[in-house]
Amino acid sequence: MRRAFDRKTPQRLAPVWMALPLLFLFGCGEGPQADEGGAEDAPQVEMDAEGMMPARRQKAFKKIFHAVPSPIETALLLERSGIRFDANALNPIDKAMGYSTTASQAVNLGIYAGDLSYSVIFNQNQQSVDYLNTCRRLCDGLGVGDLIDGDLIERANSNRDVRDSLVQIVTETFYDLNARFRENGMEEVSGLMAAGGWIEGVYLGTRNLASSTEDLKLRIAEQKMTLDNLIGLIDSYPPTGALTRMKRLLSRLESVYANVKITYNEAAATAAEDGTVVISGGPDVQFDDAALEEIANAVAKIRNLYTQ
Amino acid sequence: MNVMSNAMTAIKKFSLAAFSLLMVLFCASEADAQCRTFTKKRCLPQLEDYVQNDNYNTAVLIPGDEAELELTFFGDRAYRLLVCGHPVLGDLTFQVLDSRGNGIYDSTDKDDNHFDFRVANTQQMTVRVQVPASDAVIEHEGCVSIMVGSKG
Repeated sequence: MRRAFDRKTPQRLAPVWMALPLLFLFGCGEGPQADEGGAEDAPQVEMDAEGMMPARRQKAFKKIFHAVPSPIETALLLERSGIRFDANALNPIDKAMGYSTTASQAVNLGIYAGDLSYSVIFNQNQQSVDYLNTCRRLCDGLGVGDLIDGDLIERANSNRDVRDSLVQIVTETFYDLNARFRENGMEEVSGLMAAGGWIEGVYLGTRNLASSTEDLKLRIAEQKMTLDNLIGLIDSYPPTGALTRMKRLLSRLESVYANVKITYNEAAATAAEDGTVVISGGPDVQFDDAALEEIANAVAKIRNLYTQ
Repeated sequence: MNVMSNAMTAIKKFSLAAFSLLMVLFCASEADAQCRTFTKKRCLPQLEDYVQNDNYNTAVLIPGDEAELELTFFGDRAYRLLVCGHPVLGDLTFQVLDSRGNGIYDSTDKDDNHFDFRVANTQQMTVRVQVPASDAVIEHEGCVSIMVGSKG
């Protein structure tokens, strides 16, 4: 009896095995038209195809995101603070060939994204396209080269004189990269790239502190808050050797930032004459030039560890 | 013979378990990909002329879930904070809190899914989002995206 059962078992499982490819094709409640159609005006069956499906869990939870300013935002901040473009401060593009490990490619993708954004914001058109090409090379190494393909480079090239178009191309591309890293379970790469981008922004902002405007100095000091967000972001990912190393370096920088004193006061929202809501109050930031000099040196040290 | 047969059954069972695990991972990845499509098509255009932040703050949520975003907003800059969720989740509500946890804005009883504001001086703020609870027999999950755009 037992033998008979044993002999039948594989046969009984056969329909399951035959169904596996079908399950892979249709198993997640979505069809091939996942990119098409609107949820509101489509019938129930097609709504499944766009960001909605029967819940796969019952217990509610709290999702916490940590975000840092994008390299484009940082570059805009630097420009508005009166910084002058300094081509010599950028990481040379020919160094990209030497970054062979995943960690060095990820951090330097962020660093080059910082250089790309800086070039875009300062209308360095050819340089912008060159840095986008360099990012493409590193993306190839990280297995996401399809997100910066020939068409995108061509689009950037044809819009090289239109800053707003380049800004849009860069932000969309790096948004897609972050999303893809999440989809592929590559949080380590995402975290290292964000760190690289932030480090490069502060590095570029602190190259000529002696001739910096007071506004720029304040922006550099305020990065203490962003550093806090960045460490939170890295902490939110499963620890790996590369992330732990980055966190250690950022924590050292955090201790240098201790000389920037922030008093957290209550913020308030008021309506301006034109109806805009203005948020004022909040943190009060105190620092001196010596503190900024120390920050500049510490950031350069970390940046050069990764770009060498 | 029995030993061989038992071994075969064990292998099949293990394969099925491994397959199930793969399916879960595959579905999770597919859900993320769907959310990216949803965000780009449904949410991104609502940022209008604000330059988007490239962080991917999107998750698949169910009724009763909460999401929180911590971010620094820089002084003398205008921002649009957009909370964009799949309609199946109902009307999402959100609050903006200052660095001490005091409420700055609450979307409850407001029709907008976004909050436009200018920051006079740099602020570290928290955005807290709630998906309304549901008493439906079959609950649905959907994408929720917290997007931040900025301009001069």
